[in-house]
Amino acid sequence: MTNDVLTGDGQGAKQSRARYSSWIGKVAHSPTYRGTIGLLAENRVARLVVLLAVPLAWIAFFNIGPILQMGNISLLANYPLMDGDEPVYTFSQYALFFQESLYFVPFLRSVVFSIVVTAATLVVVYPVAYYIGKVIRPASRNKALLLLLTPFWAGEIIRVFSVIMLLANRGAVNALLRELGMIDRPIPMLYTYFSLSFGVVYLIALYMLLPLYSSIEKIPNSLLDAASDLGAGPLQRFRRVILPLSRDGIVSGCSLVFLTSIGVFAAPLLLGGPNTVIFPEIIAQLFHGSNDKWPAGAAFSIIMLLISLTTVGLFMRVVGGRNVKLM
Amino acid sequence: MRFYMKNPQNVFLTGFYWAFVAYLFVPLMLMTAMSFKDSNFISFPIDSFTMKWYVQVVQDEQFLSAVGYSLMIAFIVTVVATAIGVWIALLASNEAIWGKAIIFALACLPAVVPGMIQAISMRIFIRAIDVPTGTFAIILGHTVHAVPFVVIMAMTRLRSMPASLIDAARDLGADNFIAFFRVTLPYLGPALVGGMIFCALTSIDDFVRTFFLGGYQTTLPMLIFAKISGGMSPEINAMATLVLIATGAVGLYAERRVRRSRN
Amino acid sequence: MTLRNPTRRTTLKMMGTSAGLIAAPSIIRPAYAQSNVLNITTYDKFLPEGFVDQFEKDTGIEVRIRLTDDQGKQYNLLAAEGSDPTTDIVTVAGHRLSQFMASDLLQPIDPSRISTWDNLAGPYKGAPQLVRKGEVYGVPLLAGFEGMVRNTDYTKPSDSWSLMFDPEYKGFTTYIISDFVSITMKYLGYDGDFVAYVDKPEEAQAAVNAARDFLIEHKDMVRKFYDGGSEVQQMLVNEDVYVAQAWSGPAAKLIMEGFPIELSIPKEGTYGFLYSFNLVNHAPNVDAAYKFFSALLANPEVGAAMTRQSGFASAFAGVDALLTDRERAAIALPEEQIARIQFFAEENRDMKNEMIDRAVAEIKAA
Repeated sequence: MTNDVLTGDGQGAKQSRARYSSWIGKVAHSPTYRGTIGLLAENRVARLVVLLAVPLAWIAFFNIGPILQMGNISLLANYPLMDGDEPVYTFSQYALFFQESLYFVPFLRSVVFSIVVTAATLVVVYPVAYYIGKVIRPASRNKALLLLLTPFWAGEIIRVFSVIMLLANRGAVNALLRELGMIDRPIPMLYTYFSLSFGVVYLIALYMLLPLYSSIEKIPNSLLDAASDLGAGPLQRFRRVILPLSRDGIVSGCSLVFLTSIGVFAAPLLLGGPNTVIFPEIIAQLFHGSNDKWPAGAAFSIIMLLISLTTVGLFMRVVGGRNVKLM
Repeated sequence: MRFYMKNPQNVFLTGFYWAFVAYLFVPLMLMTAMSFKDSNFISFPIDSFTMKWYVQVVQDEQFLSAVGYSLMIAFIVTVVATAIGVWIALLASNEAIWGKAIIFALACLPAVVPGMIQAISMRIFIRAIDVPTGTFAIILGHTVHAVPFVVIMAMTRLRSMPASLIDAARDLGADNFIAFFRVTLPYLGPALVGGMIFCALTSIDDFVRTFFLGGYQTTLPMLIFAKISGGMSPEINAMATLVLIATGAVGLYAERRVRRSRN
Repeated sequence: MTLRNPTRRTTLKMMGTSAGLIAAPSIIRPAYAQSNVLNITTYDKFLPEGFVDQFEKDTGIEVRIRLTDDQGKQYNLLAAEGSDPTTDIVTVAGHRLSQFMASDLLQPIDPSRISTWDNLAGPYKGAPQLVRKGEVYGVPLLAGFEGMVRNTDYTKPSDSWSLMFDPEYKGFTTYIISDFVSITMKYLGYDGDFVAYVDKPEEAQAAVNAARDFLIEHKDMVRKFYDGGSEVQQMLVNEDVYVAQAWSGPAAKLIMEGFPIELSIPKEGTYGFLYSFNLVNHAPNVDAAYKFFSALLANPEVGAAMTRQSGFASAFAGVDALLTDRERAAIALPEEQIARIQFFAEENRDMKNEMIDRAVAEIKAA
């Protein structure tokens, strides 16, 4: 199988080589580069340091640093502190989450909602990604992708209002149905789980499309040909060849969509109704509300963070299978 | 390619693709239609049409400078975040490194934290390390948010990259760096382009981080949110339509360039 | 009393010397504190370009404006900045004043330093609504209230909040949930502003619970709980709702535009608030701010611009003459209705906020 993949992508590598060769060649022949490389090539530790230094420093500073600030706030009894107050540390904010169904229930609702949205996005977007990656001529692929990409640049909030224009009681769909004489009274479509999901998928479909495309595109055509030569029907070809080989894309796409949709704030919430309260809204309320609840908001965010990352981790292990050798 | 065309499932897929295109475009077309409405609020029906919103917007210095500022930020964020993201992905997919899962999870943190919370914690953090608010802080905040997207996209392909590719390059005399630029990076190709698109998109669309980290120069989302709080006017739709046309044009141009350079 | 950052020392320790590296850009630190600069956080189009240009020319002070769209974000930004604010003047809505003050984010102003203070309209002279602990917090800009809004094509006139609970409009109402808990308390005969409940937490809790249970019982009336003015405007325009509790500004803007919308103050009464420009605690450019306030109150056109943009009535004298008939009509209300407005008080804010936030979460989760 490795060989097949090689042939499939050898072309890509060859095409791109020309672009890199000029400046790479110059750099590679400069004495400074030679000296540095000589040093690195001889020293395994130095090589490891180069690989490790920037990523670890970045993660430590900018990913963990701010979260530690939040962690610190989440353990405080009150915030902001006034001069003269000694900070009082407590775990009560965390306990609050588990004690009260008030917070716990919307959280569960949020997780379920995100899973459903992720699954729906996968089902909707997969055929599209497959179509672009495998069905149309390679020369048209970029154009087909571009067409789907363009709408995302209009901005989240604008796109939310455009969904409102579509689904409102005096929106386009109701106007059309009324024009056709199919309804007398408008069908209320906005401010329901339907409109919320419609909008969230509308906003984040791209996060599914690009990873799926990038993994489907690299499946070698020779494999598909071989499968049908061996008598595999379309369904079998899909189940046995395409699906397993696009697993990486599914894992990445689902992770991106799940992580984005569980943290949705602001814009998409405009499409929800009185019974679609999800967890980020609760957190927002704690920060935006008329009382200062920063510690509780911070604690809840950290809980959400831990649980959603664990969920994604588990998902990657289970679905990713052998391909994802993370540990 | 021979068996792909002219069979029923491909007809279905073609139809599905165009239905998806419609799903993405129909709401936006409504939005664009509204930008011609002669009223201070968008709503159906559109009784009278006007070009006044466009005339107003293209003369609006605040809008033009906001677009320029947002583009500048997005460009820098994309470059920096892609470099760092690929670097982290290389580390997290390296067989020899212990604790890859932890590195990966930590690298993804900023994608999970809701914007509001990340913005506040970042604001407190940069104050603690004495970085002033302003352009640099915005770029930092956006980059932190964008890196996980690059990491996840790059991992998509790195995970399945055959080690034999690198070995072959080494056998041919390439050192690690040459092998990276000539083999790994081209192999990452489409995934990387996707990652860069996400970077630019999240940066250009970001409101809440910008609000907390920015100074007194207005970005496009800040301007649009401020305008919306005064009522959803067709002026905002005109702005969005212009942005859409511009990005569409840039995309077409880039696509053509790429196609030419290949031929 | 100042805000301090509890984590500065620990963070620096944790980050060690590398922090210096990242801090390097602070060499190019933008000057927030300069004698010739004034930083204002406010809404779009509140300050007309012509006025700002003129002010800059007259005084040599550079005015920098940060646009905001939401009180919550503005509060969170100031709270995160603490004792080192990057803004001098913020735009505070009355119901938020207590929150800003509780976190020590504002400083009182000295009206005697504002030469044009007397240009405030009658009811706002001396700004009694903004007096806290005997001092004035802010220059009043606009006056608003929480009104009842209805679509005149589809609903019957009513002089009572009961219209919000009329089964005929089931699924066609909307409100800002935290505001409406107070109004419902008033509607049910309790004190929604909690002034009567100082040191009587049980009584207060019983009142809040009554309102909460009433709203949960009528939750099926509600199409959506909204937050922002543009949301309720769009819902009314799109006919997704027929009856709403809304701030007077967004509703008045729809009326100015000619939509079939009526704004009224029901007989059970409602709450009013002022928008004000407030001086931030530790503001770097206090003198410039006073010069700005003086220029501001001397210019009724600024008041008119704010009214046009927001739909709220101006607190400046002489603004009425600058509005069109249509704009004036949209904002005007009969005297007897105006008399029903009760401005938010100063006492017992902590209890009110705590109990209402809790009720909001419970109603949402119900």
